[in-house]
Amino acid sequence: MAVDVHAPQAAEREAPHGPAPRKGLKRLTGAGWLRALWFIPLAWVLATLLVIGSRSALGYEPLWELQVLIVAWTVIVPLAFLAGLGGFDYWLYWISGRPTRPEDHSGHGARTWKDYFRVNTDHKVIGVQYLVTTIVFFVAAGLLAMFMRAELAQPGMQYVDTNTFNGLFSMHASLMIFLFIIPAFAGLGNYVIPLMIGAPDMAFPRLNALSFWLLPIAGLIMLSSYLVPEGGAFAAGWTNYVPLAVNQADGNLMFQMGVQWAGASSIMTALNFLVTIITMRAPGMTFWRMPLLVWANFATSTLVVLATPFVAGSQFFIMFDRVLHTNFFNPELGGDIIAYQHIFWFYSHPAVYIMMLPGFGIASEVISVFARKPVFGYRLMALSLMAILILGFSVWAHHMFVSGMQPWIRVPMMVTTLVIAVPTGIKVFSWLATLWEGRLHFKTPMLFALGFVSMFVIGGLSGIYLGSVPVDIHASDTYFVVAHIHYVLFGGSLFTIFAGIYYWFPKMTGRMYNEKLGKIHFWMTFVGFNVTFFPMHWVGLQGMPRRVADYAPEFGTWNLVISIASFALGASTIVFLYNMLVSWRRGPVAPANPWHALTLEWQVSSPPPIFNFDEIPQVVGSPYEYGTRGARHAILNGKPTETGRAPEPMEIIHS
Amino acid sequence: MTLVGVAVGAALAVIAVFIPWLPDAASEQAGIVDSVYWVVTIICVVVFAVVAGVSAYAVYKFRAPPGDSDDGSPIHGHTGLEIVWTLIPTILVTGIAVYSGVALAQAEDLPADHRTVEVTSEQFAWTFTYPDIEVEGGKPLTTGELVLPVDQAVQFEITSKDVLHSFWVPEWRMKQDAVKGITTRTTVTPTKLGTFPVICTELCGLGHAIMRSQARILSPNEFEAWVEEQRRLAREGGAVQGADLFAAQCGSCHVLADAGTLGQVGPNLDEVLQGADAEFIMESIVDPSAQIAEGYQDGVMPSNYGEIFTEPQLEGLVEYLLEATGGGAR
Repeated sequence: MAVDVHAPQAAEREAPHGPAPRKGLKRLTGAGWLRALWFIPLAWVLATLLVIGSRSALGYEPLWELQVLIVAWTVIVPLAFLAGLGGFDYWLYWISGRPTRPEDHSGHGARTWKDYFRVNTDHKVIGVQYLVTTIVFFVAAGLLAMFMRAELAQPGMQYVDTNTFNGLFSMHASLMIFLFIIPAFAGLGNYVIPLMIGAPDMAFPRLNALSFWLLPIAGLIMLSSYLVPEGGAFAAGWTNYVPLAVNQADGNLMFQMGVQWAGASSIMTALNFLVTIITMRAPGMTFWRMPLLVWANFATSTLVVLATPFVAGSQFFIMFDRVLHTNFFNPELGGDIIAYQHIFWFYSHPAVYIMMLPGFGIASEVISVFARKPVFGYRLMALSLMAILILGFSVWAHHMFVSGMQPWIRVPMMVTTLVIAVPTGIKVFSWLATLWEGRLHFKTPMLFALGFVSMFVIGGLSGIYLGSVPVDIHASDTYFVVAHIHYVLFGGSLFTIFAGIYYWFPKMTGRMYNEKLGKIHFWMTFVGFNVTFFPMHWVGLQGMPRRVADYAPEFGTWNLVISIASFALGASTIVFLYNMLVSWRRGPVAPANPWHALTLEWQVSSPPPIFNFDEIPQVVGSPYEYGTRGARHAILNGKPTETGRAPEPMEIIHS
Repeated sequence: MTLVGVAVGAALAVIAVFIPWLPDAASEQAGIVDSVYWVVTIICVVVFAVVAGVSAYAVYKFRAPPGDSDDGSPIHGHTGLEIVWTLIPTILVTGIAVYSGVALAQAEDLPADHRTVEVTSEQFAWTFTYPDIEVEGGKPLTTGELVLPVDQAVQFEITSKDVLHSFWVPEWRMKQDAVKGITTRTTVTPTKLGTFPVICTELCGLGHAIMRSQARILSPNEFEAWVEEQRRLAREGGAVQGADLFAAQCGSCHVLADAGTLGQVGPNLDEVLQGADAEFIMESIVDPSAQIAEGYQDGVMPSNYGEIFTEPQLEGLVEYLLEATGGGAR
């Protein structure tokens, strides 16, 4: 392990941050926001000229073809923005044979809030950048849901027209999935994984920085579809099924192009995680001594690398059909509509696990620490993650039981779908067994983790209904499905994201969050969530289809209840944001290890030193040896590390 | 503890069974689907009760006292337990899979004496064609509402003219997407008389929420009478038939005082057709995009009325609307 290269000297840490600021006009050519700000309009003009120039040279009419321009803009302008920020500087210097600036680690660490707005190669800064960005998109997507529930509070149309409504739910889902859940887990992983495995940073810090900056680009492209004249935002759902996606107004292209940037970001991060986890573990950190969060991200990253290219391909096919007039999905010229669904779900079912497995990891960490017990059945927990990873690729067509695909595919896909319940069940039962004879501390992260276990079980069980073909034929495309995915993605993913944010908040910010507000946030979320989403099961089975702007009057009462509860659920986010912002500025200073956890990230200061560990830790045991007096996970020479404690209160001698 | 969980689960399952989760069962297939649904429900409620019971018990029993700084017991696992909670779910899901597979085969079993109805979908309307019922001019009977005799199996041959749609009658439990370029099939044997909604469940654009029709199930005699009536209507026109047609086909979306209809989706016809001439009314029916009433969206009203109504029917409808809105007087 070539870790010593990065070992900082005390003087280096005190060194002024980054290269000396440029002066005068040179500020315009140096990497940073100023350069990005003039690169953007320049690239926009160049892209426009490129399209108009080549169209006029080829004699195509009209010269101003918005679809083609959107594709050119959404490819060229973001690249120029990244180049302006300095995202490619090092590689371009290297490629062109110019001397690269030696890596002086000046980009590491954040001293002021401004450092979070720069290209920074420190995984801890990037982790925070990820989390703050994704929370911004979470709030935006949540507000869209509030508009949606306002419209659905009563039958009939009140506030928006049907096209706007279709845009609301399409944008809500796309932002929540591609700009919140997936990258929020990437952000938590980014911060925590190198610390947990005893590494000074990620394997590819520059790639890491680049993958973060692709994310706001993806989000802004999607949101800017509201600016496309005629037709507004993309409105074919986050699944963007053809032929509707091909027929829709030009805003739909913004979804197709936004997904490319979000997908590229995901793939780059996942490669980085994989290489980091495989090659940069501290001495003694065998695979069987890795914390389960690391295992979970190992499985997730494998899924991302293998599956994400499929969603990229599916959206490129639609773009080609629209812009290049290919016929992938035009049945009149030999295209195949159902083929789209196969390609899309070959990514998007594994994507469900991409959005779940990191949460499983967080739950394992949090439950073990706050129950003061080893994770029950550690090896089976890790193996069940791998089982889900493999099985996850064999179930995609369960989204298509009524699609009109070859009928014989249904039964095999039903069997694999139901079998996934087995490794998932192992995980749930093991979490429960971890609680058994523990000493439970109900801090906010623990509340969210326990909330996750119970809510995710409901989501998993409603998945059994949808996995059974005859029941799915009735329940497919109804509000039952809406209830199911929210129990999985809200009750599952979001609860664990909250658990993770509260759990590592002291580590990231060096301050404690307010426990009381955290608990209020949890209970508002838990109650609001259940009153919002549980009745949807019933409404759906009774006959209310999903993705409708209006519904039969008989569902009016329940929809009103759901809407009111959803507003309370939305309000809970204000408590969360207030707690985070105020605690970050003024919360009590956090100790290194407020939870007395054994894993490595808690053995260093809060926030950790710039290069995480002043020397390489030596891992000597399991990360979860709670209850064994004196047991350690790792030794950091010269520094005390947390040890397991006595299981019985009598044995302890209070000093 | 697990036993308590199972007991609580059993009690909850009994309660769950009394909640009317599913709408009326009005087809043979509904009975089959519902039995699978209830088996899954009972298993799931028991499993949930075990999980919730164990969590609640643990939260109550193993709560750390304030200021506690000890650890729990160093239990790392228990091979026996792990085998149990791998095997039991495996057995349960295998059982559900086998039962579901058998039920699926039963639900899709197509008796030899079935009737075929072609279902054509488009933005945002359903058209039903009966290939074995001939009307005026040797054409097959084509309607905008689905009318069927009770207790006869029907195979629906479903297709789409444009984007994806999905054919669903909740009371029948069967659903099938409509895909342009291919014909998809589903089988239903209605067992109850009455009127049920036909709902599109696949997002199809602006008018997805209002893409509805209805299925009317009649006794065999009533059905024969209905067929004769359709043949007569196809031959004749007239304002009287126009009034019937309006109530059945247009009233769910439009207000018209004369017909007593209250639909809110489209414009109020008492207002927008006031003083309109026959030409405008005819155009508005067969080509609704030609002129859009202020405050309403293009592309919501189906454009297939020129096909599902015969020439005499269209004329009868226009005649009736002229009378009802006072346009004919001028």
